[in-house]
Amino acid sequence: MVNFNYNPENKTFTATFVGRMDTLAVEKMNEVMSVNIPLSEGKSKDKIIFDLRDVEYISSSFIRICVSIAKQAGQGQFSIVHCQPFVKKTFKISGLDDILNVT
Amino acid sequence: MSDNLLEKANEILDKAQLAAAEFHQYNQEETDRIVEAVFKAGFKNRVKLAKMAQEETGMGIWEHKVIKNVLGTQLVYESIRNEKTVGVISSDPRTGITEIAQPLGPILAVIPVTNPTSTSMFKILICLKSRNPIIISAHRGAAKSCAETVRICYEAALEAGAPEDCIQMISSGSREFTQLIMGHPKIALILATGGTGLVKAAYSSGNPAIGVGPGNVPVFIDESADIPFAVKNIISSKTFDNGTICASEQAIVVMKTIEQKVRDEFEKQHCYFLDPEEIKKVEKIAIAEESMSMSPGIVGQPVAVIAQKAGIDVPDGTKILLAKLGGIGKEFPLSIEVLAPILAFYSADDYHTAVNMCIDLNYLGGIGHSACIYANDEKRIMEYAGLLNAGRILVNTPTSQGAVGYFYNLLAPSLTLGCGTGGKNITTENITAKNLINIQRVSRRKPNELWFSHDQSAYYDESLSTDDIMKEYYKNH
Repeated sequence: MVNFNYNPENKTFTATFVGRMDTLAVEKMNEVMSVNIPLSEGKSKDKIIFDLRDVEYISSSFIRICVSIAKQAGQGQFSIVHCQPFVKKTFKISGLDDILNVT
Repeated sequence: MSDNLLEKANEILDKAQLAAAEFHQYNQEETDRIVEAVFKAGFKNRVKLAKMAQEETGMGIWEHKVIKNVLGTQLVYESIRNEKTVGVISSDPRTGITEIAQPLGPILAVIPVTNPTSTSMFKILICLKSRNPIIISAHRGAAKSCAETVRICYEAALEAGAPEDCIQMISSGSREFTQLIMGHPKIALILATGGTGLVKAAYSSGNPAIGVGPGNVPVFIDESADIPFAVKNIISSKTFDNGTICASEQAIVVMKTIEQKVRDEFEKQHCYFLDPEEIKKVEKIAIAEESMSMSPGIVGQPVAVIAQKAGIDVPDGTKILLAKLGGIGKEFPLSIEVLAPILAFYSADDYHTAVNMCIDLNYLGGIGHSACIYANDEKRIMEYAGLLNAGRILVNTPTSQGAVGYFYNLLAPSLTLGCGTGGKNITTENITAKNLINIQRVSRRKPNELWFSHDQSAYYDESLSTDDIMKEYYKNH
């Protein structure tokens, strides 16, 4: 569902998601993510990357979590990579692709 | 403009946009499951919601509002349940064109006080079927019944797997706030049903809009008509929910040759012709003098209440008040739209004068809406239809139940009736789910033989006549 990896060399924390990020899945992942994602008060020291190469569906609750983490991480510290086109379009429709730095 | 209002509007539209993002990923099966669940929930509550609407607004008849709720749920659902609204909706190997349906995005649905619960459920169903989040803007006079409708539909939708915030509601207590939402850049379409001011505001917002305003429905009873049948149908329509449907009959036009027969039939069927003094009294309470529009206080009221307000005596059980008027226009207040059981009545010397009266009535605030003819003369029916500017020309049909479709014809069941460009609408159709999708056309290469087989240099030669070029263009080798 979600795997975490930290690269100390470039201080990059990557969360790789797999499958459907529907409301139920997001609810289940919430706790795991809050424990594992390195967010401190204010700006995060590490870059946080969400890798969605194996994600085929995202719910609005997943997008909300992305927004929340992006805000906590600080400007330029959060990005979403490797979206499948269908997921990329979903971020476009949400109007949040720029804030979330979706590529 | 207050920052609070802007913040509130942004919050609502942010939620709606997220719902739109999630909704676009749904397939047809998932979408249909939600629509079915919402239909069932709305239908189950048809009586409760009808009573709530009647009690809150003080308009109409609850039993008739039940029928409107059935139209807005069961009949609308029946008409859209098998429609393709997701992904590929058609593919024609002959033309090489494949059509793909895409949702529009957040839709603002403005709900009239006259049909609050039925219009809400109707708009919710067609928006969900097309995968568009909907924001219900309820009239302040019907806010409670709309809120309950939204609650019932939203809970059912969520239970069936719909995106969070796919149905939201605002109360139009503040005109400023409604206008703010209307003009918000995240609104994809405004689906406005209501008065002239509201529809104009929707079209002036800068966002796409399907705005359906007032009607002023003329009814021509031709000499070829079955008069008792015509009168019976007109009464059943004009008394339906005490005349609150904007497609209800507003004026009866007959030729002198049958005037007495028509009058006798109306009286026989418990309608009452006002005398000139009584007409003045009814005008005073039915039409607001300054704005020359119907007074909200008489909308959807029964004859007994109207008569009491006007201070006139009418026989017990009177169904409709008829006012024979000498003309059409502001000097004759009852010639404009009145959503109550009051009808203008006109008698013409001949057929052409009668049709001209209908045209005048049609253009007095009801362009593009609906018109009606009772006749058994196909030539006259078609002539009348071609002369009236109306999206629906109903033949031998009660207009309230006829214009909204399904009951008396095969028009799409709808509580939003397109009025064409005359009503500043883009369509004359009865609005339904198919009007709420963007259709993409995948066009495969199909070279046009005519174009590629002729000598195109001829276009640059000014010495060649049009006929010369056409002859060459259409040459069949």
